[in-house]
Order: sequence, then C-alpha cells, then structure tokens
Amino acid sequence: MNSKIKNYINSYTNASPLAVFRIGFGLMMLYSMIRFWNKGWINTLYIEPKFHFKYYGFEWVRELGDYTYLLFVLCIISSIFITIGYKYRLSIILFFLSFTYIELIDKTTYLNHYYFISILSFLMIFLPANAYFSIDNNFKKRSYKEIPKWSIDCIKLLLSIVYFYSGLAKINTDWLLNAMPLKLWLPSKYDLPLIGETFMQQEWVHYFMSWGGMLYDLSIPFLLLYKKTRIIGFVLVIFFHLFTGVLFPIGMFPYIMIVGSLIFFDYNVHLKIIKYIKKIVEPIKKYFKIEENIKDEKITIKNRRIVLSIISIFFVIQLFLPFRYLLYPSELFWSEEGYRFSWRVMLVEKIGYTTFKIKSKNSESYFYVNNEEFLTSFQEKQMSFQPDFILEYAHYLGDYYTSKGYGGVEVYAESYVSLNGRTNKRFINSEVDLYKKKESFKNKKWIIPIDDEIKGF
Amino acid sequence: MIKKIFSFTLILNLLIFSCSSDSDDNSSEVWEQKSEMLTNWADNFIIPSYTTLTNNLVLLEESGNTFASSRNQQNLENLRNSFINAYLSWQYVEMFDIGLAEETYYKSKMNIYPTTVSRIELNIQNGNTDFNNSNNYAAQGFPALDYLLYGIENSDELILSKFNNEPQYLIYLSNVINQMLQNTYPIVEDWQNYRNPFIGSVRNTATSSVNKMTNDFIYYYEKGFRANKFGIPAGVFSGGALPEKVEAFYNQNISKALALEGFQAIKNFYNGNGGVSLRQYISEVSTEEYSELSTDILDQFNIAENLINGLDENFYNQILTNNIKVLETYDAIQQGTILLKTDMLSVLQIPTDYVDADGD
Repeated sequence: MNSKIKNYINSYTNASPLAVFRIGFGLMMLYSMIRFWNKGWINTLYIEPKFHFKYYGFEWVRELGDYTYLLFVLCIISSIFITIGYKYRLSIILFFLSFTYIELIDKTTYLNHYYFISILSFLMIFLPANAYFSIDNNFKKRSYKEIPKWSIDCIKLLLSIVYFYSGLAKINTDWLLNAMPLKLWLPSKYDLPLIGETFMQQEWVHYFMSWGGMLYDLSIPFLLLYKKTRIIGFVLVIFFHLFTGVLFPIGMFPYIMIVGSLIFFDYNVHLKIIKYIKKIVEPIKKYFKIEENIKDEKITIKNRRIVLSIISIFFVIQLFLPFRYLLYPSELFWSEEGYRFSWRVMLVEKIGYTTFKIKSKNSESYFYVNNEEFLTSFQEKQMSFQPDFILEYAHYLGDYYTSKGYGGVEVYAESYVSLNGRTNKRFINSEVDLYKKKESFKNKKWIIPIDDEIKGF
Repeated sequence: MIKKIFSFTLILNLLIFSCSSDSDDNSSEVWEQKSEMLTNWADNFIIPSYTTLTNNLVLLEESGNTFASSRNQQNLENLRNSFINAYLSWQYVEMFDIGLAEETYYKSKMNIYPTTVSRIELNIQNGNTDFNNSNNYAAQGFPALDYLLYGIENSDELILSKFNNEPQYLIYLSNVINQMLQNTYPIVEDWQNYRNPFIGSVRNTATSSVNKMTNDFIYYYEKGFRANKFGIPAGVFSGGALPEKVEAFYNQNISKALALEGFQAIKNFYNGNGGVSLRQYISEVSTEEYSELSTDILDQFNIAENLINGLDENFYNQILTNNIKVLETYDAIQQGTILLKTDMLSVLQIPTDYVDADGD
C-alpha cells in the first residue's frame, strides 16, 4: 500500500468534532421525528393509503398499519440514545434500520434528504462517534480523546458529495439558460414580506438565483475545507439554507445541513461547544452521579480492515451512482431513469395528469379508473409524472381487476406531463398494455420521448 | 465565534430583505391583481349566483304552496317550471364549494344524483326526516324533486292522484323544498361577513381563497361537470353505459339544458366577464411557451361546447341511441381537464394536493 495512504489511515485527530456531530445529528433526528408525528404524517402518509409504491427490489417491505407508530418510537428512542451516546453502536444500527424501513414503505415520500439521512446513518454505524463525550464512556470507563482522522473526513466527504453533485446537476440548459424552474416558482412567492412583490417577480433575480445556486453548491465544499474561507463558507451555508427554507417547504433539511456543516470546523470550536453543553448538563450529571472520563487514549478501531473496506465501497457507490443515468438513452428530467439518489434537488417543475383505461379480453368495452378510489391525492400527484410509479400502479390495477373476475385484463395509461414550463405532452404510449410490462433497470421504451433536449449533467 | 457568525448572517439577511423593499420597481402587482380577481369572483359571481338561486328557490316554494293547496295539472306545470328555473340557476352555484357551503356539505345536500328512491320512499313512510343525516343527502335537493315531480308515477294523471290520495308525498315535497331554502339561507347570509376575509385571503397557501377557489373550479370541471354529467352516465368509468345516472333522470328532457348551463357557468368564471379571472391571470404570468395557454383553454371549451350542442336534449335517449357521440363529447371536455390540471396549474403554481408533506 502506498505509504501516504498508510500514513493517512494511521493518523489521529481530536475526537470532539465527531462527538458534536453525533449530538447534533441525534437532536435533529429526534426533533424531525417528533415533528413528523406531530403533523399527523405517520397516519396520512403511511397508514391511510390503501396501496404503497415500493422501490424496485424492495417490494417485500410490508406496511405495518398502526405498528408504524412503534417504528417511529424506535427511531425516537434511538435518536435520544445517539445524542447522549448510550449504547451508540446498537442505537445507530437501530436508527438506520427503522428510519430506512420507514422510507422503504412508500417511495411517494422520497426526498433526497431522507436518502441522505439513511446513508449518513449507515456510514455512522462504522464511525467511533461515541469515543468522546458520551454515556458509553462512563459505562466502559474509557474515553478517547483521539480518533482516526478518516472517521471525521468521511462525513466531510459525504457532505461535500451532496453539495458538489447537486451543483453539478444544476449545470443544465433549463436551469442556467432558462432559469427554469425558478422562473415559475419564485413569482409564486408573491406573498413573502418585502421581497415577494419585488425581487421574486424580477427575471434577473430568477437568473441570479439559478446561477448563484449552482455556484454555491459547487463551491461550498471547498470554501468549508480551506481554513481561510471556512467562515465565509459557513456564513453562506446559513444564509442559503435559511433563505431556501423560507422560500420552499423543505422541512428540516436546511437545519440538518447547517448543523452538519459544523463538522468542517477545527476541533477547538467543537471543544468550546462541548464545554458549553457540559455547562448545561452539569445539574443532570450531578443528579445521576455521572463520573468524568476515566482514561484518555487513542481509540483502536476493531476490524479496521473490514470497516475501511465497507466505507471505501460505500463511497465508490456514492461517487458513481448519480451518473448511472448516462446508461439510459432517454432525457433524464423527462423519463427520470436514474434520477433518484443523485442529489438532484429542486431541479424540475413537473405536473402530470394520468388516468388508466382498463380493457378486458372478455368484452369489447373498456373503462377508466377513478384514481381517488385507490390513491391519496399526494400519491396521485407523484404517480402522475413518474414512469416507475405509473407502471407499478398499472400492475396494481391489473391485479385488482383480475381478482374482481375480469379476464385477460389490459391496462393503458393516458398520461400528460408538463415539464419546466413546457406545454403538456403525452408522456406514456397509450397503445402499450402496461400490465404486460415488467419493472427493470432497462430503458422504458413505452415512455414517449420529450422531443426536446436539456443539455448538461 | 459561532454566535458571531450567526448574528452576522442574520444582519446580512436583514440587509438584503430591507434593500429589496427600497427597490422602486412596480410594487404589489401580483397581490393587487389577485385581490381584484377575488373581488370579481365574490361580487360578480358567487354572491349574485346565490341571490338568483335564492330568488328562484323562493319562487319554487311559492309554486309548491300553490300546488299543495290546489293539486291540478296547471299548478303541477307551474311547479315544474319553477323547479327547472331553480335547477338551472343551481348550475352557477355548484362550483362554489367554499366557506360555509363546504362546511355544511351544501353541494351534497343539493345535487347528488341519481337520487336514492328507496330512501325517499322510506322517509315518506316514516314521516320524519333528518335532512342533515348524510344517509339522506341523496334523498333531498334537486334530484329528489326531480323524482317527486316526474317519477313517482308513470303519467301526470297518476302523479296528481298520488299527491291527492297520499298526503305524505305532498308533505315530503314541501319539506324538501323548504330544506333547500334552509340549506341556502345561512350561506347567503354568511357571505355578507365572509366576503371581506374571502377577498383578503390572497396568499399562496393551501387554505387561501385564491388557491381553494381555483381548486374548486378545477374540481367542479373534472367531477361535477365532466364526470357526473357525461362520464358516469356514458359508462366511461364502468365499461357499460349507465343512462339512468344522467342529471334530472326523471325529466330527461332538461339534461342537456342543465349541462349547457353548467358549462356557461364554467366559461363565465374562467373569462371573468369583464373583470379579472383565471384567463387574465394566466396570460399575465405565463412564460413564452405558455403565451397561448389562456386562449387554448378557451378554444378547447368552445370545441367541447359545440359537441354538447350537437347532442340530444335528452341525454338518456342520446346514450341509448348513440353513446359514441357522448363519449366524443366527453373526450373533448377531457382535453380541457388536461390543460387545466397540467399547464394551468404549472403557470399558476397552485398546488393541488393538500396532504402536506415536505419537499426537497
């Protein structure tokens, strides 16, 4: 092995940034989960729908009905344990499993930032985030001041990938040359105080924010990595995320990214934060008679070879997965083949209207399905412009009517989509019996090409 | 230091926000235009339509009373005419499922068809009817009157003798008419107070008047008009025609008149009749690609209307004799739905789904 790499792998650094990250992550997740529960979304998104859209390969994931609440309880408890660093490894594994399971129940709710939480929590399973300033320290009577440098760097790397790739995705003709979809979105924010009627209505603002957003995403990782530009980078992080948080309904994402970006700071900053937290938790510590750290030493990572291999594979996948769309001949924004899991955030304005025609071999006649009978309005909206949803729903309808005694059921889609301010076009070939088409990673030939080119990443 | 950074950013934010307020550019245009649109909707559409409906319902009640006191053919005819007039004016009201109307399920109490005859007969035998019970929604309103005035027997002679011999039918008839007024009065009254909050609710939120009314309009076009009046009876959703599901099934001769009136209501609302409405708003905000959208929608409406004009007065007969023409008409109306639900919503940026969830 190259000695530079060897040196790097063996180099150690102060453990506090990872400890602060663990606490921040735990608190953010705790709040996110309670917020989700409080908004009634567990019921409306996971329990109420009769039918759930599954990710390809995860059709086996069952909805849990009222037990979904237990899954959230598990998520909440593990978030608390992650925060305080109690049975960290078990907690982060449980968090990863329960959170990811929730996401797998229905892909209607897919968001890049949920995916980010899933893979981040997976990564954290392999990191010694409880080495310092955790309850585990007291139980094991061991606290570690130093942890391998890579264990902090890999979180920085993941955050950098998220920013950089979402910047790359913005380098396309719709975003930069037409200011789409911001040209549609921003004017609709006319109700914002002060800027709504003025800035948001200006075309130059739409272009400025398109270009600015692209440059911001591409440069943030570097601004945060270099010490000299770190503060300006962090100011930009706060400004940008709070601003987009005001503009768009993106929930907890801005706050998660702001807190997450703290990890780029030197450990001195984190030691101060820990000092501050210590002050706050002092009374609790006294009450529980928690002793201070017992031993200070460098942590040794168990099964280091395996851990490093897993993390390496993880990042290879992360680096290449977003480019899988290149394997498809179709227009990415239109057909969305290889669109998800690639940090394509807020890139398209897509509205679809899709209805299904059911034919039965037994009779000449056909009829249309009333989507409201089977889908929630949120599901219907998401289904209407995403081909894999359309196919899955077509199969559901096919199975449903077959079970109702219709013989030789055929399912056809009448689908129209408008993308980034283009007038609506027919989306799915209405001559194709979707019930006979199988989901796969292959190119979906029954999507009618958009007949327009969006150049770029 | 973190604290400093936060406060610095906060100041930066404030600076930008306050700078923008200084910009001398055309202020509050969108806001004003939306206000104007809402005012137009309230003052020139919603409130006048309710007034006309109420007046016609009062006339209906009077004809009902006259008929009750003297049950002859002439008075039956008069009552039927009042019924038809009220039903026609209802077509201008059905889409306004907002405010108290929405809260009280007004639309469902006035016009669910086909009416449930067995329920009506049951209510008549029992004598005492709770019209606010949702099981009775389909046993009141216009469809119930349609049955009572045209459908309880096969001929006018028999209908008259039924009303003469079985007074409970007469009682139910007057109860249904009275209930329609009782359903309507509070809403008309409420609009006196509701008008100002309605026209003041200009923001782009799930519960603002602009968004709710636009969604109501689309919903009416898609369900109340397209599906109920054409799609369902023509068998679009069932595989076989269901002509007995036409509006005003017992007096089938007015089904086309009702549909045309409903379409007139849709076109008027979209056009704004001299004021600002969706058409003006779309052409105002649309991008290059959508420059033709506002007229495209109108053109599609006109294509559909021409096809409706070509249908038989009696949709029941039309479906039985030549359903293809109804299906073609449905398809033309459907083309309008596509324009409204994709392009128009894309331009207006009004979300349709109110299951709120985070986006990214």
